[in-house]
Amino acid sequence: MRLHHSLQSISRGTLVAGALVGVLALAGCAQHAQQATLYERMGGQPTIDAVVENLLYRIADDEEIVSYFANSNIDLFAASLATQLCDVADGPCQYDGPPMDRAHQTMGITDAHFNRVVEYLDAAMIEENVPLAARNDMLGRLAPMYDDVMRLQ
Amino acid sequence: MRNTGSSKRRAIVAATALGALLAATASMAGSRILGTGAVSAIEGAAGGGLSPWAVLSSTASDDEIGVTAAATRAWVDDYQLTVTGANVNLHDRMEFSIARQTFELSTLGGELEQDIYGAKVRLFGDVLYHPLGVWSAGVMHKRLVDGTVPTALGADDVNGTDAYLSASKLLFNAFLGRNVLLNGTLRNTSANQGGLLGFGGDQGGHAWMAEGSVGVFVTPSWVVGTEYRQKPDNLSVADEEDWQSVYSAYFFNKHVSLTGAWLDLGDIAGLPSQRGGYLSLQAAF
Repeated sequence: MRLHHSLQSISRGTLVAGALVGVLALAGCAQHAQQATLYERMGGQPTIDAVVENLLYRIADDEEIVSYFANSNIDLFAASLATQLCDVADGPCQYDGPPMDRAHQTMGITDAHFNRVVEYLDAAMIEENVPLAARNDMLGRLAPMYDDVMRLQ
Repeated sequence: MRNTGSSKRRAIVAATALGALLAATASMAGSRILGTGAVSAIEGAAGGGLSPWAVLSSTASDDEIGVTAAATRAWVDDYQLTVTGANVNLHDRMEFSIARQTFELSTLGGELEQDIYGAKVRLFGDVLYHPLGVWSAGVMHKRLVDGTVPTALGADDVNGTDAYLSASKLLFNAFLGRNVLLNGTLRNTSANQGGLLGFGGDQGGHAWMAEGSVGVFVTPSWVVGTEYRQKPDNLSVADEEDWQSVYSAYFFNKHVSLTGAWLDLGDIAGLPSQRGGYLSLQAAF
């Protein structure tokens, strides 16, 4: 009984150690592959511009979301968003538009609206062939903006 | 007598599940991102399988209501566990759950049953957007249908209440470009084998136990990971060991998920080294 248990814990330990070595080795490869900037991994400005356009078509089809853009100049908005995504992705751009809290203040944005736009952005990136790792990276860089967007609601 | 009560409870669970299905025809999916409602843990709360997580069930957001129903079966060497449960999420703030566990003693003969009534409140945060993730606190009130066997084994009580604090956080792009889900839960419990062998005993009563899991979203709809649940050891006649699993959960869409797992539940009621498989189907609306 005791022997059985110690054998079991040894095999468990070996499994865990093996898994850890595997994880470290793979993580090393990933580090190497990710030396390119996110901007490059997404496909540069042409892809970012295409993602923004794709996203805007999705927003245009959503009556509730598009109503927030009633008084916006869509061309200016598209250019500003493309510059911001380029900047966030470590591309050769400098976003100098309004901060996220002021840009969205008192619009009455709910979590449901926010989540919908996140889904549209991810769907747009999928359709423009942005690889999964780059999509996850971009979403991860944008996620902390939730607090700013919601601060002045 | 017991059969009547049991079939009545099954009917209630079935009716709840049917109600959930009917409600779905009138309502759309919640707006939270796919997978952020986790799956149904064996005690009814949203979680991994063995452990409750801090996320609330379904994909209901701040102005939505979500309902889930789940059926789960686990097979280990000498036992089989069946769980049916239902869960409601109110505005991504409160979660209420009910679960019926039926534990068949395939080798020893007989079965043990308990009902679990759960409530969980999201304290603050969000699993995706908040730097500290989401934090929730919950309780589970457990009632054995027939406490004769657990009492004979030395359990102090046939009813008990667990309380837990849980945190969950998604790390974007954390491993090979994939998102990684972390969860930690601290549970105050006196339950022996989750409550199926009663509550407390000659070796102890309420104590704090640690539970945790790590999962990797291989794709946005498929997560694989491992879970660990520390357990008390209150009964001298029946050694109890920690539980662990390796799981794979697939979200077909915001309404249907299927979870499979390999379980290692250690010794249970005198029978050593219980290992086996686990399948759980969840419907969410």
